[in-house]
Amino acid sequence: MSIAIGQAGFTVDAWDPGYSAALAADALAELGPTSAELDLDVELLAADWRPVSPAPDTAPPGVMLIADGVRRIDARVWSNDAGAAPPSPGIAASYAAGIVRCTPGEGAPAELAAVEVRRSLFTASPYASDIKASAGTYRVETAADDSMEGLSLALQQRLTQLEVDLSVRCRDDDAGDGDLLIVDGPLRGRTHLPRTVGYIKTHHTAYLPAPQAGVVSALGPGQRTPVFLMGTSWRRHAWYLALPVRSAAPWAGIVRCEAGADMRPDEVVELADAITLALPSLAGVDYKDPRAPQNLVPIGGLEKLLRHRLGDPRLLYRSLRAAAGR
Amino acid sequence: MVMDGAPILTSVNGAASSGEAVGRVLGTQAASPLSFWIGIEPGQAVQLDEVVITRRDVPGHGPVLMAGVVTTVEARHEGASYDSDVFLIADGTLPAAVVECAEVRVTRVEPEIFVPPSPGAVVYRAQAADRDQALYFDVMDRRIPMGLGRDGQPMYVNFDFLDGTRGAHVSISGVSGVATKTSFATFLIYSIFNSGVLDAEAANTKALIFSVKGEDLLFLDHPNARLDEAATRMYGRLGLPARPFHSVHVFAPPRPGDPNGVPHVSARTQGISAFFWTLTEFCEEELLRFVFADADDERAQYSLLVGAVAARLQAWAAPAGDGGAVTITPPGGGGVTCRTFADLVDHIADQLTDDGTRATWAGAQVPLGTVNAFLRRLRGAVRALSPIVRGDLPPGRPHSISTSDAQVSIVDLHNLPERAQRFVVGVVLRGEFARKESSGTARPLLFVVLDELNKYAPREGDSPIKEILLDVAERGRSLGVILIGAQQTASEVERRIVANCAVRVAGRLDPAEASRPEYGWLPAISRERATIAKPGTMFVAQPEIPVPLAVTFPFPAWATRPSEAGPAPTGVARRTVDDPFAGLPGADDDIPPF
Repeated sequence: MSIAIGQAGFTVDAWDPGYSAALAADALAELGPTSAELDLDVELLAADWRPVSPAPDTAPPGVMLIADGVRRIDARVWSNDAGAAPPSPGIAASYAAGIVRCTPGEGAPAELAAVEVRRSLFTASPYASDIKASAGTYRVETAADDSMEGLSLALQQRLTQLEVDLSVRCRDDDAGDGDLLIVDGPLRGRTHLPRTVGYIKTHHTAYLPAPQAGVVSALGPGQRTPVFLMGTSWRRHAWYLALPVRSAAPWAGIVRCEAGADMRPDEVVELADAITLALPSLAGVDYKDPRAPQNLVPIGGLEKLLRHRLGDPRLLYRSLRAAAGR
Repeated sequence: MVMDGAPILTSVNGAASSGEAVGRVLGTQAASPLSFWIGIEPGQAVQLDEVVITRRDVPGHGPVLMAGVVTTVEARHEGASYDSDVFLIADGTLPAAVVECAEVRVTRVEPEIFVPPSPGAVVYRAQAADRDQALYFDVMDRRIPMGLGRDGQPMYVNFDFLDGTRGAHVSISGVSGVATKTSFATFLIYSIFNSGVLDAEAANTKALIFSVKGEDLLFLDHPNARLDEAATRMYGRLGLPARPFHSVHVFAPPRPGDPNGVPHVSARTQGISAFFWTLTEFCEEELLRFVFADADDERAQYSLLVGAVAARLQAWAAPAGDGGAVTITPPGGGGVTCRTFADLVDHIADQLTDDGTRATWAGAQVPLGTVNAFLRRLRGAVRALSPIVRGDLPPGRPHSISTSDAQVSIVDLHNLPERAQRFVVGVVLRGEFARKESSGTARPLLFVVLDELNKYAPREGDSPIKEILLDVAERGRSLGVILIGAQQTASEVERRIVANCAVRVAGRLDPAEASRPEYGWLPAISRERATIAKPGTMFVAQPEIPVPLAVTFPFPAWATRPSEAGPAPTGVARRTVDDPFAGLPGADDDIPPF
């Protein structure tokens, strides 16, 4: 299935790259261990857990920065190593991170505060060089191992790094201290950013024990659970909150938010209240977005813009094939 | 919203150009050598009718300039998929971009290498020389300002297409009242006289305006008291002085029942005279034909009879005294003197109904039914024509309509019934056309402004006036008679007349009328716009420029109604009706030399 041409130093796999992309997406979802360390007494004693509505004097965040990233594998390639060694696999991927600045209530439009698109070739081969295709240059990034999971993880790490870089840069430029940064996905690797909340849409693991899990099911729209501290491979504050939803399915409209572990409890509670107040107004609508309401409107819009910025996949694939043939 | 904040002012397509960059050629819509779309740079705006240019380096030919006029402008949200997304975007939750794009119809490609512009090429707002080139003003040796474009710069019409060099005649269409057809025609005449293209001929070039609606046009030589600073500046930008016409003479029909034939006009006392035809002229010049100038008349059986009676009148009528009365003496004697039009009609009726004399007037074998139909029609004209076909007024008064008295001659028809209007237009046009024909030279030019052309040259049927107008349209170009016709509905005017007009103008159009094929020269978008055009905005098509230009012409510097009229001009009081010596031979034309 491969087109082997020696000189270019790499070969593009003829299989549609989408086949492996679906697998990678699953592999990258949070696969947390079931035995997470929990401290349920941060806000309320575990025995007193009940749905919490934001305090009446809570101020909604003035500015919300919402960060997200998208990734796409443009082609699977084989690097032809020098000598007689077998070719090693790699992925040529485009990924982009962006930040939307929302100023609720001001009538100001949601703006794309920052966006960056990168293209990289992820491979474990030490001999690979940058691919200069007509549609763009793929820079070599070294992956730890050459399994599909390893390559995909390397891609996810670069994307997360890009999101962090962009967030830091955007915060520096903004210099506003009333802003709140919401990152799509777990906060892992970003816990050092101030006033930052991780936003997790899907639940693969039930972290809470039975009595507290019942509180999650009892949440009404715009309510949250008390804040708790959880530690898996890393520690962070977390709470569940319920978005307005029409579906009666269990856990419909429930999302988990994460905040840095080193915050003071009162800071975390204040942050949790602000988020709980702000998020329901950003919730998506089911007929527009299949992942509604968890997929927030700004995130949906940002993903669409970012995917568009990744470029036309067919064009990139063709240019990679052409570069391999040179 | 700026998507990524990157300005596009830096020129990537190489050519340095004048004017500010407004956007770039779109690549998502196919660009062709004849039309292309541009994306508007955030913070910029273009409007309809704006002139833009772009350049492209074509290998082997060098830079090619592509210039065009904006014909469509659109704005929309990019990144929104549902109509309700507009609320999310306005609330600031959904990120999306407002994008504006515009369609450009190419007017000129210089040199003529028909290549599409490259997508991404910077598009500039055309200014100065680029604009002149885009609209062909640079190749117009003699140009007439016809108003300001959307950008506030003057728009011109090529005089070659007005004076007969390469074309002639103007057709102006539009809804009555808001289309300002007559005002535009008057402004065009003013512009021709004052722009300097006529050079030495300016003094001798004449205009003949038939005024059918009220006394609006009777004050062309009075300054307009409502002319403000802004309008004066507009004239300045067009390179025209803001002043009234300097030489105007008005012809009006005599006041009914007045024994002295005072002009039937209340608002004007100077530079006005009454017009009428004497019975002698009526018989000699066979004007009877123009009494039957309806399209219906031509279809009726009696057209032969009209010719026969007119010929008899010419042969048998002789002046009776010098007041214009005639004595009709058929062979065999028995002359009858007629002093009024009614007398003449009665006499003709007597002669035709009398079995003994009918054959001598009508020739043999004319059925009685035809004779009766003719007489019924003729009698119907008595009331209309009595005031202007006379034999009872004091002799020696100049009473004919002539363009030699002043630069602009206005024939006021608004007090006359429709049949009399037809009669006057037909007779006057025939006279002027014959005069130009006999002079043998096209110069100096005569401009004829005629409103309600659909009444005089309808699409259906034939009439003597239509014949003359067709003659003007087809031969006037070489004879120096230029028709500026106006009508509410060009679709109802004889096709050959409209087809011969080099310059076509539309003001506000009725939506049903705008969809007719006669307005094919207006692109669909202009046609739609013409239905909402404001008074003072006209779409002007001329042969050289492939798209009609939207122009706004200035507020008249001359009064259009008595309330606007400033002080009357001094020193041109010729043939004043208040002149006590009026009616005495020789005392009518000169101002006493003191």
